[in-house]
Amino acid sequence: MQAVDGVDLELFPGEIHALVGENGAGKSTLAAIAYGAVVPDEGTVSADGVVGLVHQHFKLIERLRVWENVLLNREPRRGWTIDVAAARARVNALAATYGLAVDPDAVVETLPVGIKQRVELLRELDREPSVLLLDEPTAALAPSEIASFFTTITALAARGTAILVVTHKLAEVIAYSQRVTVMRAGRVVARHVTGETSADAIAREMVGGEVPALAARAATAPAPLLEVRGLSAQSATSALDDATFEVRAGEIVGIAGIEGNGQTALADALAGVVPFTGELRFDGEELRPTDSPAARLERGIRVIPQDRRHEALVLSWTVRDNVVLGRQRTLPRAAYGDAAREVIERFDVRPPDPNAIAGALSGGNQQKVVVGRTLAAHAKLVVAYQPTRGIDIGAAALVQSRLIEARNAGVGVLLISFELDEIFACADRVLVIANGKFAGAFERATIDRGRVGALMAGHA
Amino acid sequence: MSALLRSRAFRDVAVVIVVVFGVGSLAMLLAHVSPIDGFGALFDGAFGTRSELAETLVQTTSLLFPALGIALAFRAGLFNIGAEGQLILGGFAAGWLGAQFPLPGYLAIPMVLLAGALAGGVWGAIPGFLRARFHANEVIATLMLNVVAFLLATYLVNGPLQQGGAGASETATLPKAAQLPDLIADSRLTWAFVIALVLAFVLRWVLQRTVFGYELRAAGDAPEAAKRAGIDLARTAFVAMALSGAIAGLGGATIVSGVLHRFNTGLSPGYGFIAIAVALVGNLDPLWIVVAAFAFGVLQSGGVAMQAEAGVPRDVVSLVTGLVIIALAGRRVVSSLRST
Repeated sequence: MQAVDGVDLELFPGEIHALVGENGAGKSTLAAIAYGAVVPDEGTVSADGVVGLVHQHFKLIERLRVWENVLLNREPRRGWTIDVAAARARVNALAATYGLAVDPDAVVETLPVGIKQRVELLRELDREPSVLLLDEPTAALAPSEIASFFTTITALAARGTAILVVTHKLAEVIAYSQRVTVMRAGRVVARHVTGETSADAIAREMVGGEVPALAARAATAPAPLLEVRGLSAQSATSALDDATFEVRAGEIVGIAGIEGNGQTALADALAGVVPFTGELRFDGEELRPTDSPAARLERGIRVIPQDRRHEALVLSWTVRDNVVLGRQRTLPRAAYGDAAREVIERFDVRPPDPNAIAGALSGGNQQKVVVGRTLAAHAKLVVAYQPTRGIDIGAAALVQSRLIEARNAGVGVLLISFELDEIFACADRVLVIANGKFAGAFERATIDRGRVGALMAGHA
Repeated sequence: MSALLRSRAFRDVAVVIVVVFGVGSLAMLLAHVSPIDGFGALFDGAFGTRSELAETLVQTTSLLFPALGIALAFRAGLFNIGAEGQLILGGFAAGWLGAQFPLPGYLAIPMVLLAGALAGGVWGAIPGFLRARFHANEVIATLMLNVVAFLLATYLVNGPLQQGGAGASETATLPKAAQLPDLIADSRLTWAFVIALVLAFVLRWVLQRTVFGYELRAAGDAPEAAKRAGIDLARTAFVAMALSGAIAGLGGATIVSGVLHRFNTGLSPGYGFIAIAVALVGNLDPLWIVVAAFAFGVLQSGGVAMQAEAGVPRDVVSLVTGLVIIALAGRRVVSSLRST
């Protein structure tokens, strides 16, 4: 299969060029080819000067200091040793030039995501690139950080650097780019001067048709289901501090927040894989920290984990065996095939083959299997953590529609997402999480997007 | 065709063939022996006569038990390199109890085999418990427990539990009723071979068809996903290690009951270690492990003939086996590190 097929792309000094497309359209592959990390089967790449690339998943050495990362393999030397003072000065000068404040001596693993990205950016800027490629640069940033990030990028472009931003966030494309290239299935399907097109038009070009509508919301009679008082928990990457909220049967509660602000701790505490303190009542009975994941599954608490490849699927297994996972104690062996076919049919899993190996499926189809098996099981509460992460618009709409249908049928849904659009599209109520604390609550009818964004960034 | 060439099982077999014949030939050339003569002697020694073939199957059996145990642990994501110790203690329990408490025929053999499985099981359960309770690395624990097992058996058989066997480091001879009956007359091949084959089929059925096997494989293949699906990883690790040890211990008991008719501290020339290579070459699939055990059985029994008739040191077989372990286990460890 070809990720990129016969693509022409030109970048000019001083312009910000947006490259958009759905997951799997070939954007990242194209960026990797331009950088030289992937060798194309056919075609050529030429650039005047150095090409820099900032990865979506940062390629930093966590245990090293900022200056060690920024100057890796280009360290100023004094004989056989590294001139640390000069290195520090160079990073400080670089940071001052581009307005990217960092502490050169900080160890990278102690830094928040937004600062890590600065480090990654500084590392590329030290090489004085004439072309800078940015792969999903705002995925981990708060709305306010996004604005200041683009201020930096715009200034960089003004100095004559050619910039390519790979993204799926169309609002940023419209706001900050001068030209936009749309890719679908490995080919370029449209090129625009940004000012002459719109976000809706680009979205249609990305999907190759109309963007599918979500399922209709039915009237429900919300009844108490999950009551949480003073929940604190700690997971590997985040902590949750004293959270009090409730999820009722027949409603979707959205948790809006930037990655790393306590969402993982919340999802893991409910799944039963990390300990917690606080009082939880589920379906009229107490939920204790010591209740095993198996006991919670039995009571009807089902979690769609954030990381489908590690936390949800056994990639080397078939779709059928994966569909059973979580129900292996209750489902008789003879029913495995039917259970798999049911999920495949309801969620349009492709290929529609229960014997397909899960690891060979696209991300979107893997996610359909995970969401499908969760909703097919006996579930009273579904915790959906980034249920549409990295999947295409069509698959995302299907997943969101199925969650809404589950809500219509009386399931309580806790939707934890880093995508505000997803929260606003699906949730009956929205809670904002920042720095591990709940910062605000909104009803669907009276959601104030600006206010939610400000709370997410930690502004009270 | 190209899919077959790229498949892991195929590459493993290719690696084994290259290592066995390539390195084997090189070592023979260094010993100034033509590889044709060397391998000729090896295969002749393994298949030449009915009794040589029987001896090859004896070696196959002794490798098959620990290899099946190791594979079971591996499928649960655990690297049991303590099969040697589990096998030795299983053999000791079988030999000592069998000689100490003579029972009628229909009870004696089951008791001896059960004692072996229990002792091996306990020895496997120790690292299983340490792993489940304290997240102790089972590789280190099982490796060290091998030494402890050997020294413990040596101490017991020479000290507090001495039975006045024929020589040092031996129990008394088992009564006839406790000896596994021969499968081929006038050979050392006994019904242990059949038990091992049946065990391979049972193990495959358990792994592929039962909820227990499903949960065990999930815990091994994707522990994070398994945990979230309600599978108790600690319990699975404990049970898998105990069962793994029990199967290796059962193997030790069959060597005592079928081959030596007494426990001797030298009962294993390293079956528990060679079995790691057997399990990996068999791609952790019980039925392929039968095939792999036979291949290594050929090396084991043919190696003796090779030394006697072609003058190639038997160590060549150990060298080749060791390289197979490094090549296959090393790759597995590297790929498991990369995936996390």
